[in-house]
Amino acid sequence: MNERIINELIESFGKLLMAGLKVSLPLTIASFSAGLIIAFLVALAQIAKVPVLRHLVRVYVWIIRCTPMIVQLFIVYFGLPSIGIKFNSFVSAWLVMSLSVGAYCSETVRAAIQSVPVGQLEACYCDGLTFWQGMMHVIVPQALRTAFPPLSNSIIGLVKDTSLAYSVALVEILATAQRIAARTYDYFWLYLEAGLIYLIICSVLTVIQSRAEAALERRR
Amino acid sequence: MLELKNVHKQFGDNVVLKDVSLKVEKGDVVAILGPSGSGKTTLLRCAGYLNRADSGRLVIGDKEFDLKKIAGKDLLDYRSRVGFVFQSFNLYGNKTALGNVTLGLTVAQKMKKDEAEEIGRKLLERVGLSDRVDYYPSKLSGGQQQRVAIARALATNPEVVFFDEPTSALDPELTGEVLNVIKSLADDGVTMIVVTHEMEFARKVATRVVFMENGEIVEENNSKDFFEHPQKERTKEFIYKSSTWASDTQIDGSGI
Repeated sequence: MNERIINELIESFGKLLMAGLKVSLPLTIASFSAGLIIAFLVALAQIAKVPVLRHLVRVYVWIIRCTPMIVQLFIVYFGLPSIGIKFNSFVSAWLVMSLSVGAYCSETVRAAIQSVPVGQLEACYCDGLTFWQGMMHVIVPQALRTAFPPLSNSIIGLVKDTSLAYSVALVEILATAQRIAARTYDYFWLYLEAGLIYLIICSVLTVIQSRAEAALERRR
Repeated sequence: MLELKNVHKQFGDNVVLKDVSLKVEKGDVVAILGPSGSGKTTLLRCAGYLNRADSGRLVIGDKEFDLKKIAGKDLLDYRSRVGFVFQSFNLYGNKTALGNVTLGLTVAQKMKKDEAEEIGRKLLERVGLSDRVDYYPSKLSGGQQQRVAIARALATNPEVVFFDEPTSALDPELTGEVLNVIKSLADDGVTMIVVTHEMEFARKVATRVVFMENGEIVEENNSKDFFEHPQKERTKEFIYKSSTWASDTQIDGSGI
């Protein structure tokens, strides 16, 4: 490792980090938020045993879980344009990753909702609350507390999965590293640096997770 | 002032309530007794609109509700007239004692937060828990939790409070504090219907007693006559078996 490489790594570090903060992290947050909403609705459809919907969501979970994410990305980004539906890289990745989070987290959310005794919802009804009010004020806050550790796991997994969006021309951390290395042929060092950036982001998230868990624990 | 009219309920082919009717005067404390599976809890849950009756009506004060379907504004009106206390307390785990009492007032009845909290504090004081206002349910004993639940049921100043076996989930030592609170409400003239297995409570606190079996009311009387002069054979047998643990009772339950 000579001085040239050291200088190159220092210079590229900022670029990779910015790619992480400007592309990978926003993609993670946008996908995870949308995915959680999907997961919640899927969980409700299963809990409430909504006749047709319940089977539809099972098919959805089945398809998403049993096909590789990179294939899904290719279908959306390279496949859909041939039938006239065109999304840019970021939107394609966001769609696929939201659907993925929705499918994987629906079981977590369902179990967490069902861990809150159903009697509390009945008590909400007696208090004059509607189903949705009871969910928002009583059931979901408690379910989220239960679901927090597994959901944190999912969000950290998602940060790493965003690297797959490289394959649909999204210039995120890995693609940025690849572009720099293509000029200098220092693939080994650049990819190591890309790995380091993921390590840093996920470590920060891990610290936030344990602090948040401790804070939640104090409030009960 | 409160009347249940022809409440009918079946689960599949199993008829749980056979056109049950019941009239309750203001200030009455009605104890509903009966063996397991007699339909007493289902009657209370239908009257409390936690289960939908197949048919039946409930008159409270000047309003009549269809227990098959109450919706929209009627439902909120109905909920504010009826309080419900569960066997398993069902306190909101993410709310303090005060939060439990005020949630319905602020969210459903759209009351201002400080007004609701004033009511909440008064009610918690009434059930003897003014020093536990900020405690979460997990930090309260079973008896304390049930008293919070009673305060919560009273929040809208309802015209009647339904109790579903309020002491069945409690340690024997803790039943007293809950029954005392219910008794103090009775002394204040709160109208209550209590499904219970506590014979002493039915005898001493209830003004009327209803005995149910197989989805029907078998006998109904004021509490003194119910226990001292039961009319039906089945009622006599029930009182005898429940009130005594007589050494001369055979294992199969046959008498004396």
